[in-house]
This record gives sequence, structure tokens and C-alpha cells, in this order.
Amino acid sequence: MNYQIEKKDLPALLQQWMQIAQVFAPVKVENFTQFKILSNTNELVLNGPLNTRYPPKSLFLPQSEVLLKYQDRDFTTTTLDKQQRIIFGIRPCDAHAVTLLDTVFDDQDNPDPYWKTRREQTTLVGLGCNEPRETCFCTTVGSGPFDKLGLDILITSLDDVYTLEVITEKGAQLVADLPSLKDDNQQQMLEVQDRALDYLHPAFECEGIKEKLYNIFESEYWQQVSQSCLGCGVCTFLCPTCFCFDIVDETQRGERVRNWDTCMFRIYSQEASGHNPRPTRSERTRQRIMHKYAYWLDQIEQIGCTGCGRCIHYCPVGIDIREMIGNARVWREA
Amino acid sequence: MSEIQTLIRDEAVRLLEAHLVDVVVGFKAGTTPLHPQPAFVTNVQEAQNLLMDGFCQNNLATYLTRLPKEQKIGLVARGCETRAAHALVVENQHARDRLYLIGIPCQGILSWRKIEAEVGEDVLSAEETGKTVFIKTRNGNFKLNRQDFIHDTCLHCQHPDPVSPDIMLGDPSPITVPESSDQLVQGFAILKPSERYAYFSQEAERCIRCYACREACPMCYCTECFVDHTSPRWAESMISPSGTHAWHIIRAFHQTGRCVSCGACERACPMDIKMTYLTDKLNLDMRQEYGFEVGMDDASQPPFAAFSLDDKDQFVS
Amino acid sequence: MTKPWKPKITLFQCQWCLYAEADQHWVDHQLPNNIYLVKVPCTGKISPLYILNAIQGGTDGVLISGCLPEKCHFKEGNLGARRQLDEFSRFLNYIGYEEDRVRFAWLDLQDRGRIQQELARMEKDLLEMGPADKLTTRLPAWEGEDA
Repeated sequence: MNYQIEKKDLPALLQQWMQIAQVFAPVKVENFTQFKILSNTNELVLNGPLNTRYPPKSLFLPQSEVLLKYQDRDFTTTTLDKQQRIIFGIRPCDAHAVTLLDTVFDDQDNPDPYWKTRREQTTLVGLGCNEPRETCFCTTVGSGPFDKLGLDILITSLDDVYTLEVITEKGAQLVADLPSLKDDNQQQMLEVQDRALDYLHPAFECEGIKEKLYNIFESEYWQQVSQSCLGCGVCTFLCPTCFCFDIVDETQRGERVRNWDTCMFRIYSQEASGHNPRPTRSERTRQRIMHKYAYWLDQIEQIGCTGCGRCIHYCPVGIDIREMIGNARVWREA
Repeated sequence: MSEIQTLIRDEAVRLLEAHLVDVVVGFKAGTTPLHPQPAFVTNVQEAQNLLMDGFCQNNLATYLTRLPKEQKIGLVARGCETRAAHALVVENQHARDRLYLIGIPCQGILSWRKIEAEVGEDVLSAEETGKTVFIKTRNGNFKLNRQDFIHDTCLHCQHPDPVSPDIMLGDPSPITVPESSDQLVQGFAILKPSERYAYFSQEAERCIRCYACREACPMCYCTECFVDHTSPRWAESMISPSGTHAWHIIRAFHQTGRCVSCGACERACPMDIKMTYLTDKLNLDMRQEYGFEVGMDDASQPPFAAFSLDDKDQFVS
Repeated sequence: MTKPWKPKITLFQCQWCLYAEADQHWVDHQLPNNIYLVKVPCTGKISPLYILNAIQGGTDGVLISGCLPEKCHFKEGNLGARRQLDEFSRFLNYIGYEEDRVRFAWLDLQDRGRIQQELARMEKDLLEMGPADKLTTRLPAWEGEDA
């Protein structure tokens, strides 16, 4: 069943949802957007840059999560509220990324309770991308501007109307009262979704990428490609599929916290003995690329990148992962 | 292609052919128009890729502490980059005689953020000619007045031209040196304490501790930064006011008398956090209290590296 | 009956600056409960990080006591500290933290009872200023029974 809503009626729909759940949507922060809880539908920004800078993975895996508080031998563990949540306006690349992270955190044998609880309590209402950006390459890596994977509802923006395609039962519950999608709007929706693909060109060939990367593992390619890398954490922290974390006891205050970590920092792989298996930026850059484009394929047969383009746009030195993969493909030892 | 670009390429070729340097550090074209990439040129062919325009937003001096100390480095350097280079020489991070400063004039670095905000969508091409920047997007062509899109720090730059370079390419910058940031600092200082603290907290709140500011900064080169210490634990790594305040306060303070006000930190920050208002205050104090300005020569010690019996203080005695 | 609020003061004391035995004894054994002592071998050891840690930990005021310039037990230790600590308190003030909460006292060899005097004066001023409400972000998180 598919539905539609006049654009002018969207605020009212959101108000309805705000009665039954916390609604997260892109709101304006400085000159960009970020997912925050809507307290007023006026805050909503849908015509800004396609993607929020800070990824919505933070809504399932917060950058800092207090696991327990302690003093001497007493401790209390954090319990999550029973809180229904709706994430409105998430882009398909980010939703696709959430499903990739499910394979890490919603593991059959050892599910992460924080992740699992949040996932169960959350409905993802996605907004497709009519005009993907120059830095988008979702179709290259198996996603797309109207990719439904991971979404409960997919919204397409037409001129005066939003169409809502229901993908799951969870999504159906939210839109049951809306008018049905009319045929002409359905037709237009399919055209818009098709036209969006015109903006995307294959950034590189994925076939055989894993093998090629393993092939050049010991080569000098990595030295060359990592020369300008500053070793900051921008790419990993803005990445919707990166999930590495560190657990630390902040002893001065008595809190055990789980924080995002990044393989781009030297201390990430620093061992207590002083040895570091990834001593230079060469090894660390290699690690990042191998993880996304080889190891994920080994583990779950999917590429660990959804082509959102944040790392390209915000890398302080303009490093482009598409260029890195493209050059890796054609690298030949001198 | 601009004249300065030809001069840079020619000089790079000259230096490499004469083995006066092992590598020339400059910029080359990136994959997107507003983001040139740092380039490390070791042969004459690669020298033809060297580029220089207003979008070159990094302070290349940060690579001086990342390349081997034995290397002879030719650094394409604008005002702030030469000052950072001199400051690093004073701190013994690279030998002056293994450093060749290729001085070039600067009219201010263009802010890709300001341009994107203005044109509202992705830039397909960007070209600079004199005082104008021509931007082409999918849906429009824009002719922008260069001066309106300069990065905030550059608006107050006191040293656009290289300081004591080994060679000066092109003519000195045509711009008149703008007003310094002292007024901004003084304007901030007279706000109510609660307002100042609110501004500080507000900016710090967005911080995601990616440390792009630290890595982009030429003067932050400690192999072990204070934030990475676990014993004692100076700054918590979690996202919360405690650790984030400590990060911003102490990083700025560790730059006292060392920061060259290039603004690379702000340009690197993915969350658009303002931080130069902190170092500007510290630099102003160093100028006023000790008559010191960093990076003007290869010998003067920064104030915190020295002391004197005659120092003044506000202490009770 | 609730206890009246007493400001928490952190005292960084250079171990040489209290020449009079009576004064040092008072600091070591009779220091009031609301004053926390951190003894250092010289004020030159004090890094701004210590002061920031004390402030974030919830102290309402910081007093640093050291020897007069020219009278440093290690000759120049206190001179090394002076520039940094002087600028640091000015910097904290710039971001809104009241400058008067961070004080330094140079003590002379002949001084007697100065430390008690300075602490009492600070306590009186802090009672007027009220508890510190800025930068106090690193207080214990414990919410259990004895919080």
C-alpha cells in the first residue's frame, strides 16, 4: 500500500507522530543540518544539503554511551527508556548503513542490548534523493538514491506532494490514515526515482576489488596514498558504517563509557608494550580501505561503504576514497 | 593558468634538478573543485601538477613535522606557512638549512563553506581571476566578489606575505594589511562573563573530538598529545562538556605564543567550530606583555620557553 | 538542619614556602575540611592542567602559594611557572571564569600566618561570590545511596 500527502500537510502529520514518539529530523545547526528531536515542526530542514554532516548512526550507537556508574564496589547500570522513536528524513545510504551495522551489533549469539533496544523502538522514515550530489556514489557500492533497504517507509518528494511507499509493517502503522497514492503521482514518483540515477556515475568497478586490494597489500601504494593524510578522525566519525569503539573507565568521576574510536589515530592500535602493528599512516590508511572494501566482503559479503560521500566532502586535505579505490585498481608495481 | 603557478612549477623543477631539495611540498588539483590536495613532488614530471589558488586551504607547514627530518624540503609557503616554518625551526623541529621556503603572496584563503552556502548546491567548477571568483553549479553560474568569501581568519591577517623566504615568487600581495583581530578579542572580553562562557560552551558543544584541528595545525606535533594520556587523565575522551572544554582550553593554551593565526584549525573542523577567538586572545597578550610575535625569525624563543626576574604578574605578595 | 554552604578551596602549596614550622604544621594537620591540599615540590611543577582539573572537579577557588621570586628553593622554578600561570588565570577569565577564583600568593621567608590569612580572605570572598557555576563539569557521577 502506498500513500501520499500534500506538502503543506506534512507539519500536521509530524505533529501527530510527535504525540506518540520522539521524532528525530534534520534541523539547522550553524550552516548545516543534524538529526535532533523535533520540538517544533518549524525547525525541520528538508531542502538543505542532502545529508546531515554527523551521521544518524549516532541515534543507534551514540558517540558516547554511559554503560555504568560506580563508586568503590557499588555500581548501577544504565537502563534505556522505553521510548518509541521515529527518524524522519534519513537518506537511503544512511539507512542501508544501519543494516550493515546490524550485522555487527544485532548478532544472533551476542546482540548488543543498547543497539537492539533502540532498533526495536525506532521506525525509519526515509527521504530519497532526487538530485544526488557530486560526491555521492551510492549506486557504485550497492545502494541507491531510492534504495529501500533498512527503511520502514520511503518518501519521494514531488512538486506539491510527498509520496510514501510503505516497506514494513512498522511503517504501515504510521501512515494508515493518509490518502492513497494516486496513479498519476505514482507515475511521477517512478520517473523522479529513475531520473535521480542520471546524476550518479560509477566511481569505480567493484568487481574483483577485494582480490586486487589483497594483491597490493604489501605494495608501496599505501605510502603514496597516505602522504597527505593528517590522521584525524573526520572520515571515520562522519562515516555511517564505521563502528569501532573504545570502552574507558573515567575514574575521576566513576563512569564506564563506550566512545567511538578511530583506526586513523596512532593510539588506536598501540599496544601496552609500546609496539604498534600499524605504526605509520601508511598502515592505518590501508586498514581503513581494506576494512571497507575487503574484510567486510569476507565477513558478510557486502561492501562496508554506502557511498554517502561525507568523507570526501569533509576531509580537511581533500582525500577522495573514490580516487583511492580507482588508483588501487590500476596500481602496478614499478 | 595563473602566473604564480608557472613560477612555482619552474622553481620546483629548478630545485629538484639541482638536488637542492628532496621533495617540494605544495598543492595539486583535487577531485572536487573547491578542495585541492597537498602534493609531495619528488621529480620534474610531478612538478607540472603543482597548483596554487585561493582554495588551497591547508597550512602546509604541518607536513614539516611529518616528513623525515633528514629530508631537504622545499615548502610552497604563504605568509602564515612561512611563520609556522620559522616557529618550527625555533623549536628544533626541522633544520633551517634543510628547509627551502618558496615564498608566494597571498590574498586570503577562500572559504568553501561560504561559497557553498551562497550558491546552495555542489560546485562543478571554480575559477579565480583577480578580484572575482566564477562558480558554475548544475543550475547556475555565479560571479562572486572574492573579498566577500574569504575565510574569517584571513580577514585579519597581519602577514599575508612570506616572512624571510629563501626566494620570493611573484609580487607582494596587492592587498593592504587589514585590521588585526585585536578589536574582536577586546570586544569579546568586555561581554558579561556569563555571555562569554555561554559562547565558549556553545561552540565546544558541537565538538566530536576528531582532532582535525590538532592535525591540521602546524604547531601541534606532540607524539603524545595531552588528551591521549590516561594517567593522569587530563581530559575525558567522551563527548561531554568536561572533556571537550578541557580539550579546547588546553589546546589553545598550549599554542600561546606559538599560534600563527592561520585558521587551518577552523577550516579543518567538520562541525564549523570557532576557535581562533581563543588563540587570538593569547597571542594578543603575548604581544602586549612580552612584545613577542611568533614566526618572524629563526631564533626568538616563545615567551613560555623563557622567564625573567622582571616578569610582571597579578600575584599577591 | 542543613549545613551552611562552605566554599571548597584547593590549595597548591609549594613545600618550601612555609618557613615557619607552626604554619606548615597547621597546613599539614589542622587544615579546615573545606580546603584540599595539593603539595608540590615547587610552583614550577604546577601545570595549568592541574588548575583546570581542580576547577572541573568542583573547587570554588584555587590558591597557589609559592616562594617569592629570587627566593625559590630550586633557584628559578617559580619563575618558570609565573608566566604560564599568570596567563592561564587571565585566559580562564576571558572565557568567563571569574579571575578572582584563582589566586597566587608569593610568601616571604619572614612571613608568619600569611597562609591562614590568605585562605581566610579567599573564603570570605568566595562566600560572597557564591559557588562556582562555570567549568564545574567533572563532578562524580555516582547516583547511588551515598551520593
